[in-house]
Amino acid sequence: MLPNIDLRIANMIKALEQVVLPALPRDQRLARDQAQLVAGHLRMMGEQWKAALRYEQISLDDLMTLARDLMRSAPTPLDKLADALADAQACDRESVTALEQANIGLGHAVDAIILGGEAHAPLSQVSIDAILDHGLRHARRERTWFKRNGLDPDRNDLPDLAALFDTAA
Amino acid sequence: MAIDMSDIIDAPPIDKIDIWNRDDMEPRIREILDRTVRDRVKGPYAAKTDSEVIAMLENYFARTEGLDAIVIADVARMAGGASKEQFAFTLRHRDDAVGERLVLRMDPLEAISQTCRGREAQVHVAFADILPVASVRSIDADGEILGQPAIILGFVDGVTEPSEGTGHGVSGIGTRYDDWAAKLAPQFIDALAQVHRFNWRSADLSYYAAPEAGTRQAAIWQVNWWSQVWWDGVVQPVAMVTYAERWLRENAPICEAPVMCHSDLRLGNFMFEEPSGKFTAVLDWELAHIGDFHEDIAWAIQRLFGTWTDDGIFLVCGLIARDEFLRAYEAASGNHIDPVKLRYYEVLNAYKCAVIDLGQAMRAATESNNHQDIILTWLGSAGAVFLEQLVMLIREA
Repeated sequence: MLPNIDLRIANMIKALEQVVLPALPRDQRLARDQAQLVAGHLRMMGEQWKAALRYEQISLDDLMTLARDLMRSAPTPLDKLADALADAQACDRESVTALEQANIGLGHAVDAIILGGEAHAPLSQVSIDAILDHGLRHARRERTWFKRNGLDPDRNDLPDLAALFDTAA
Repeated sequence: MAIDMSDIIDAPPIDKIDIWNRDDMEPRIREILDRTVRDRVKGPYAAKTDSEVIAMLENYFARTEGLDAIVIADVARMAGGASKEQFAFTLRHRDDAVGERLVLRMDPLEAISQTCRGREAQVHVAFADILPVASVRSIDADGEILGQPAIILGFVDGVTEPSEGTGHGVSGIGTRYDDWAAKLAPQFIDALAQVHRFNWRSADLSYYAAPEAGTRQAAIWQVNWWSQVWWDGVVQPVAMVTYAERWLRENAPICEAPVMCHSDLRLGNFMFEEPSGKFTAVLDWELAHIGDFHEDIAWAIQRLFGTWTDDGIFLVCGLIARDEFLRAYEAASGNHIDPVKLRYYEVLNAYKCAVIDLGQAMRAATESNNHQDIILTWLGSAGAVFLEQLVMLIREA
């Protein structure tokens, strides 16, 4: 691929920052804000795009871990969760879209268990611990993935993307 | 400490509130949420042009006030706010050649939070003699004339962050006030206290309803509001958001004396004049409701809205150290902060922020129903901050 994606992203950022933004009047703050955010998104995407498939794989694997934990400890009927887990295991792991869809499908099944059905059956402490453990892993992963947005007050404590993937491996 | 569900099931009822009755919420909030779902398919939404705004306003003032020779001049799109489309403009007509400087604040088809302009107008009027707030010039609560819900306010001079400063951010997040803090912090605390001391029973707040004192309804109404936003718009399920909803229902505290809550009083939502630092307006009342004052305190102390000094001290809203803030608020308001309730509302607010960033913002951007979708996705990328807060807060509760 020539020009490659990294080069094109870098070109877009340069055009925005060196040509478009300076040409926008100072009082056009909405336009300036949005142009800066475009540059910010592009900068993040430049770091992320090569790892997006791996990221979605890790995310789905982690949700499957939670699903299995709930299978062992949840009191409510688990047929739908078992079906969703089977679908997730069978999804095309080389497709970001397929991984995202599997995550959504399994996520809804996990939600139903967390809510405990129409009777809101109590969750066991083991289930609660599994949900919180997963919640922390999920949050750390997403915070790391998006830390270049500069909004996270504790972003300096987060690892870089390579370390994130090393840990998951 | 974790909850033993058998204790809850066997315990006598705390009150008559059904914590799982999702229909128990303010009627006007229900209308707004239902309208959001109904109108969602009308997108995509495009930012209004100046000429469109002029035509809308000319028609509006002609129909609502019968003005002649209307001129809408000096239209300027305003930045700020991650939800409403805002324009400053000057209204002139046959009987007013000098003109009025006003602000049109209107709903795009779908925003980061779906709220009621009628409620916003009523609370502005109610606080007109109590706090610096923009005057209400006109209101089209359901967009019957303008085509989309809107409020027209008097223009207020001032800034939301120092013109010369070291930190600026989207929606005020990340703003550093540095030497301004000494001037702004007392006014910020006084504003919170004034809101909570307000006698809402004596005001015209017909768009509002009040939760029953001495019950858990204040908390459950909020859980029902925001969980409905989540389930109506969820793009991708998040297990922690779902568990947080359950935790919030099962741990809802009693509110002995509901007060008016601003619900978004933080950095970026007050204006002040330079160089005096005097407040000129408390902004963004769209989330205001009658509830538990702990909700406002817990909102203000969120980490995302704070900053750190160079020597590592966390400043609430970039203004004041946390313990000092809590003490000063108690002194100003006369309210005693219950640490258990404060923690509950910290969880509720983290949940609310997660719903806004990962739920409503993502749905609005996915449908292309906002005038600044890119800001919604930018804010959405911060949603995981709230997920981690939920884990930490629930584990510590």
